[in-house]
Amino acid sequence: MDAVQDRTFEPKIVGFLCNWCTYAGADLAGVSRLQYPANVRVIRVMCSAAVDPVFVMKALLGGADGVFVGGCHLGDCHYTRGNYFTRRRVAMVKKLLEVIGLEPERLELEWISASEGARFAEAMRDFTQKIKALGPNPVKERKVS
Amino acid sequence: MTKCNEIVQDIVRSMLRAKLVDEVVAFGRGINESDIVPLFITDEKDAEKIVTISYYPCSLAKLVALYGDRNKKIGLVLRPCDARSLVELAKRQQVNLANIYSIGIECYGVVRAGSNSHQVYIFPDTVQMDGETKPLAEDVLAPNCRRCEYMVPTMTDVAVRLLPDGGCLVDANTEKGQAVLEAASIAVTDMPALDLTALKERAARWKEKDFGELKKMAAKDRLHYWLAQWEKCIKCYGCRNACPICYCKECYLEPEKQIVKNEALPPEALFHVGRLLHVGDSCTDCGQCEAACPMGIPVSKLYHMLYEELSPLFDYESGFDLATLPPVSTISDKDLTKTGVTLD
Repeated sequence: MDAVQDRTFEPKIVGFLCNWCTYAGADLAGVSRLQYPANVRVIRVMCSAAVDPVFVMKALLGGADGVFVGGCHLGDCHYTRGNYFTRRRVAMVKKLLEVIGLEPERLELEWISASEGARFAEAMRDFTQKIKALGPNPVKERKVS
Repeated sequence: MTKCNEIVQDIVRSMLRAKLVDEVVAFGRGINESDIVPLFITDEKDAEKIVTISYYPCSLAKLVALYGDRNKKIGLVLRPCDARSLVELAKRQQVNLANIYSIGIECYGVVRAGSNSHQVYIFPDTVQMDGETKPLAEDVLAPNCRRCEYMVPTMTDVAVRLLPDGGCLVDANTEKGQAVLEAASIAVTDMPALDLTALKERAARWKEKDFGELKKMAAKDRLHYWLAQWEKCIKCYGCRNACPICYCKECYLEPEKQIVKNEALPPEALFHVGRLLHVGDSCTDCGQCEAACPMGIPVSKLYHMLYEELSPLFDYESGFDLATLPPVSTISDKDLTKTGVTLD
């Protein structure tokens, strides 16, 4: 089935948002009544560096179509350097996805601050669009015993 | 017995005699010629049991990390891949490298215990398999050894190098190594530049063969290839227990951590991916995981493939420099100058 043609495909996206920036950004998008796709399921974490790569892989192998990680801009991290670690981990997981045969584009990292509500809404729109174009997660094709 | 055996036995004997070390961990004869077991040697009389054949049943570095006394001085006779694992364990504070005297033996690959029950391997170039002596050809070597390009133990205190005529040369890489050689009254010989191009070429060729066909596949086919491999898993934890770098006392993969579903067989793919995430960045490609796997999953192929991708990305070579920490638990000065969401 061609996923792009499949109008009914609504991707499931797991979003790990950092408590201090991106989650507040999402909050601002909400109170500003900005429209963005409801495909993202938000999980608030204290820092983007608290997102263990295992959580990302658990989501993707469990059938999520995309994973979004949002953190503070570099230098703005509440814990000083957390997002530098996140960047390295995301780079690692992207390589891993490539090696095992999943599209690395299914994982996205963005720096979104608490004042960037509009940018959060836009990032959600773009990412959902990207995942829609990629189609459903191929892991789901395989029967899980 | 080869000359390499005698030299290593000599070094071990004099290390014990000079009280440089309290005990030595090395592979040696067990109940018979084909029974190779790790030995903890405290008496110099037992040094004659040490053998240095092309068979390496487990990681000695891991044994020392698990059971070794950090305050005792320990001598270790290692292959280069295990010596690299030792350095990786030291970075993770699992061994006290200051108290370890490592003797590295140059290695052109080892053979894996396979379906043939009793195989005796005589280093460097023959293998006795099913009663006949065969040359140690590429196809009897462990797959990870065919891809290996680190034959020379540059990360150990003492390096024992093999010469094409069957002889050996001994070199000291560190001050500790020099002390060992002084105790053994072995003169340090100037190392002739050995030609390793043929072996590097072998590594490149096998990498191309092993990884090439997977890389050529469409992404979806590759995913289903790995998912099918993982479905063979019987969750015996053999790969984790054999891996020298898997050091966690409380493992993610244990059911009580509730990351991987309990009592599911085959375990979900996360069982494999989770471990890959933990050690993939510092894999030394020792092949112990693949050798331990009873279901024949090509584990080390996957780990080595990821390591080959991550190594240039993080500019990290595992197992050499004690000062460079594992790439995902550190950030570099170069990172601070980049502002994007990628490392480029």
